[in-house]
Amino acid sequence: MPTQEEIFEKIRVALVDALGVDDDEVTPEATLVGDLGAESIDFLDIVFRLEKAFDMSIPRGELFPEDILTNAEYIKDGKLTEAGLDEVRKRMPFADLEEFAKNPVVGDFGNLLTVADMCRFVETKLSSAG
Amino acid sequence: MRLHDKKILITGGSRGIGRACVAKMASEGAAVAFVYQGNRQAADELVAESTAAGRDVRAFQADVRDSKRVHELVQELADQWGRLDVLVNSAGIVRDGLLGAMTQDQWTDVIETNLGGTYNFCHAVVQQMMYQRGGSIVNLSSTAAEFASRGQVNYAASKGGINGLTRGLAKELAPRNVRVNAVAPGMIETDMSAAVRGLAGEQIKKAIPLRRIGQPEEVANVVAFLASDESSYLTGQIIRVDGGISLGGY
Repeated sequence: MPTQEEIFEKIRVALVDALGVDDDEVTPEATLVGDLGAESIDFLDIVFRLEKAFDMSIPRGELFPEDILTNAEYIKDGKLTEAGLDEVRKRMPFADLEEFAKNPVVGDFGNLLTVADMCRFVETKLSSAG
Repeated sequence: MRLHDKKILITGGSRGIGRACVAKMASEGAAVAFVYQGNRQAADELVAESTAAGRDVRAFQADVRDSKRVHELVQELADQWGRLDVLVNSAGIVRDGLLGAMTQDQWTDVIETNLGGTYNFCHAVVQQMMYQRGGSIVNLSSTAAEFASRGQVNYAASKGGINGLTRGLAKELAPRNVRVNAVAPGMIETDMSAAVRGLAGEQIKKAIPLRRIGQPEEVANVVAFLASDESSYLTGQIIRVDGGISLGGY
């Protein structure tokens, strides 16, 4: 099991390669969409790079639940419904969703996920696999 | 050779247009893996001919409808080659019949093979191509997608779907330098078109401005161009190779 620093460093490399950002832009607090400019297709690329870097399998949609955010069943007036929030919580136990849940505008979701969340995500995956 | 050292995967490679694509691209220096479904003998012959000519061609049996098998095959090739430069989705079937008499199987077989198979292979290669920041996908469409023929609603729907998939995927992958185009052949001399050509007889040639049926090699030439770096600024396009039949008019 790699250390937290090793995990962060591999994630930094994956994000620099996938998003074309500079090394120093990838900080734990940086948000993937707002700060690093990730678009939905970038998450596919990021997931693939993480799979290679950590030699693990990541189901699509686990890191960024686009299928939930675009499912009319979970959206009302541009916001995630309580059922939608529950789905996202189940899918993303590594992310802190409480601030977002106060006003869950779908368009704001991208600003939620940070590099630190991603590190926690990988740590969780690795520890559950190992 | 413009395809020198390119790693190319072609579906439906044992017969017809797919076979011509295998021969053309291998002759231009590519390493080619092709997929065939049932015609082992034709596949073996093509590999033997190619090998005798000093070309790098190998065959894999797979049903393009089988998503799991498709993903495993692509993974195996990507592992062996270290990359995958080109995917040509050429596997296709016809099960013609008037819609009122068309069975569910006729509909499903064509949609799942032609459109579903194209989806399966695109899905399987997309991350590898994104990862390597480059690639070319060429889908085999048909002029039947836009020009109606009786008895081919299933085939036309599958090829229309391929056109939509091609344009949409081109837009998704363009930022990653992965190009997606399609070739839409008209009347080409293959086993698959034999029944239609037989019904239409010589009359059909009169409707084609070039006054003849096309050869699979003439389609393969365009596919090879789209696969190559010579088409580096071309994506999301459906190129008709039809002797001018789609021009309409008199």
